[in-house]
Amino acid sequence: MLPLGCSRRLVAELQDALDTCAERQRQLEQSLRVSRRLLRAWEPAETPTPEPTPGPETNEEAPSPACTPSPQDLKELELLTQALQKAVHVRKGISKAGERDNASSLKSGSIATSATTAAAPHRASQTKLPRGTRQATRPAKGLPKPRLLSAGDQTCAGRGPLAAKPGPGLRDPQKAPSAAPQAPEAFTLKEKGLWAQLSSTQTSDSMDATTSSKTQFLQKMQVTSGWPSSRLSAAEVEAEVGRLQKACSLLRLRMEEELTRDPTDWMQEYRGLLTLEGLQAIVGQCLHRLRELQAEESGKEVPGCHPRRPHSTVLTEVVEQQLGPWPEERPPMASLPCGGGADPTWSPQLLLYSSTQELQTLAALRLRVDMLDQQIHLEKVLMAELLPLVSMQEPLGAPQLALCRAVHSLLCEGGQRFLTILRDEPAD
Amino acid sequence: MGRRRHLADAAGALPEAIAALSRSLPAGPSPEIFRRAKFDRPEAAPALWRLLFRVLSLLRADRASASRAPEAQARWVKAALRAQGYPRLGLARLPEDGSQGSRELLLALAWLLAREPLPERLLAQTRVRLGDEMPVCECGALASPGQPAPRVDTAGPVDVRRLQWLMGKLRFRWRNLMASQQEQCALLGKIHAYTRGCHGDRSLGHLSVAETELLRDPEGGRQLLQRLESENARLEAALEWRRRELVFWQWMDTVLGACPPEASQPTFPPRLRGRGRRAGAWGPVAWELQALQEELQAAVGARRAAWAARVGGQGPEWSAARQAAQEAVGRELAALRQAWARGGGRAQPHRPHRLVRTEAGGPGGPGLRAAEVIGVLRSREACLEEMLCQLQEQCRQQLARLAGALPGLIWIPPPRR
Repeated sequence: MLPLGCSRRLVAELQDALDTCAERQRQLEQSLRVSRRLLRAWEPAETPTPEPTPGPETNEEAPSPACTPSPQDLKELELLTQALQKAVHVRKGISKAGERDNASSLKSGSIATSATTAAAPHRASQTKLPRGTRQATRPAKGLPKPRLLSAGDQTCAGRGPLAAKPGPGLRDPQKAPSAAPQAPEAFTLKEKGLWAQLSSTQTSDSMDATTSSKTQFLQKMQVTSGWPSSRLSAAEVEAEVGRLQKACSLLRLRMEEELTRDPTDWMQEYRGLLTLEGLQAIVGQCLHRLRELQAEESGKEVPGCHPRRPHSTVLTEVVEQQLGPWPEERPPMASLPCGGGADPTWSPQLLLYSSTQELQTLAALRLRVDMLDQQIHLEKVLMAELLPLVSMQEPLGAPQLALCRAVHSLLCEGGQRFLTILRDEPAD
Repeated sequence: MGRRRHLADAAGALPEAIAALSRSLPAGPSPEIFRRAKFDRPEAAPALWRLLFRVLSLLRADRASASRAPEAQARWVKAALRAQGYPRLGLARLPEDGSQGSRELLLALAWLLAREPLPERLLAQTRVRLGDEMPVCECGALASPGQPAPRVDTAGPVDVRRLQWLMGKLRFRWRNLMASQQEQCALLGKIHAYTRGCHGDRSLGHLSVAETELLRDPEGGRQLLQRLESENARLEAALEWRRRELVFWQWMDTVLGACPPEASQPTFPPRLRGRGRRAGAWGPVAWELQALQEELQAAVGARRAAWAARVGGQGPEWSAARQAAQEAVGRELAALRQAWARGGGRAQPHRPHRLVRTEAGGPGGPGLRAAEVIGVLRSREACLEEMLCQLQEQCRQQLARLAGALPGLIWIPPPRR
């Protein structure tokens, strides 16, 4: 049996890894359900339409015959779209110049000036939308071909709910224009406009008074508080340790690179030497910084900077009671969500792929990289906990050997293969 | 008269500013709550606890804390604020049943607001996304950077076989993930292919899953519309807040002034500080750095010796060349340091990208190409595999050393793949 603390920590780590995987699996399955449901309507394709479908698809899949609109319908829809765009453009007036359209079709270009005016009509015409979409979901054999109007470069088109199957769908475009001028209002979402405005206010410098009053407020808070302000918060310490971790990996990589290089002349040899010495100096600095952080955190009076894994001893409790009421529980440092990164108001960027194969490769590689990350993390944790155990004890007893064998398998073979230990009996 | 009007204007501006703030935040309370909080009225406390909990759990993307009792929420809020470095002790002393402390909570909220653009960040996180997105950045989705949450259910010491079993289970889950992921990509590819020509925006060309579903399902369409509308409302509120927030900060100054100053904590005697902190928390990083240092020391020692043997009889051009080399290496190492410095990694695109299927030969517009990303990922994969192999090799060597110390045994390693 492994010691108690070690057991707990390792089981916690492994269980954490398992939970993360389970969560990811759950999300994937949710997306899978949605995608499967959507595809059920298209496959198996029931009555293929008699028209020729010169689809631009490649032969990698067997597209359902009705899945591309015939060229004539495309053309008609194109004309209709243009007409609608023009109508909305005329109606709305010129939107903010230079506003580029971007990814989503449901965004409109209408912005600041028409912000309030658009709000009213769009609420009123909200009811038009369901009618439009119901048209889209009428017997959807083959593909529904609604044309999602996006904002043109500078127009404020909304969305036209046009369902047009080849053939019987042609009457829809006639019905649609009446609904369409109002329907675009339904989708005058101004989404892009608002995000752009928000980002411009963030980056603008006209906020001096506000920024300075905020800084003053923060300073006053610090000053009037009972806490000495020179310490780093736990979040900052964690961030710094993370940086040191990254530094370690990068330094190691550089070292490996340097060591495997074969210098051809004395200049290269000298440079190699200098590099290694420089790396050594940097590692020394990193270690020093780490020790500083360590000292500071253990020197902190408060339970507030409690240990990463709450390790309650009687002493700890006494200390806490005397020093302050900060709660023992510490929220685990969840990794910061990636979505709202540096500039939250950028419009989404595109990732272009050309075949399902490519997409699958991409996704598989991403997953593999994540898995390797996880595996490396676990490996380090296991090494830190298990290697001391095996090296510490001397006896040759079977349990210790079994432990050695298990540790070898876990650490060196990823738990997949085992070595064999034979007792070397002298031949009699 | 003018002054009265000015005051009246100012008096009106504050509630509007607070109302805008409230509308831009999730679970925002009414301006009345804020006013009461200034006077530390007890009835304002629960709403502010809820707001802080909501905001902080969104910021930390902490899903698990959603369903907690109010007391547990209050404790969590205190811990989360403390972890971020919240300076005031008054918060820590508040009772967790929500019966008092609204002024302190108001100060905490203002502190969070002053440090970063909170409404914008929350909005960006909960943004309605219409496309099929794939993250491109290097943040590992599976590996958690911090320590795992301690579990209450681990009873006692476990056998190493349990660890082996857990590892096996993990490997199985990885395989499942891979299979599901491949299937999802195949389906996505089909949907993108089938809906080609349906999107009004030519640069996209096809619908995403969300958009297809929107069209299929009017109910879903309505819901999406509602979500977009509420997001719009919050965006507008955030813009209004930005315009008006100065008066809020002036008001907060008065709130802070109304608080009695906190007595500073007596510093605890240093004796109790070395609490026997487990090396476990710092273990991996310190251990790695130390190992690296030892290796570097050995390498440098060897090279120095070799160099010293060589250097001899170098001419006057030597010192100039040496200078140049030193500068070059110095620059290289400085660039290396940038890689992990604060904010050094921003060059990478950090946000999820929308997947768009295009023709292989087409020139394409703006956007990342999948082929590039695949290249980057492959090199990263190679790098990580290398790292893993090295770690495993280190273990192997160490265990071999141990095995050497134990006589009378033969160790037969498993056949290499």
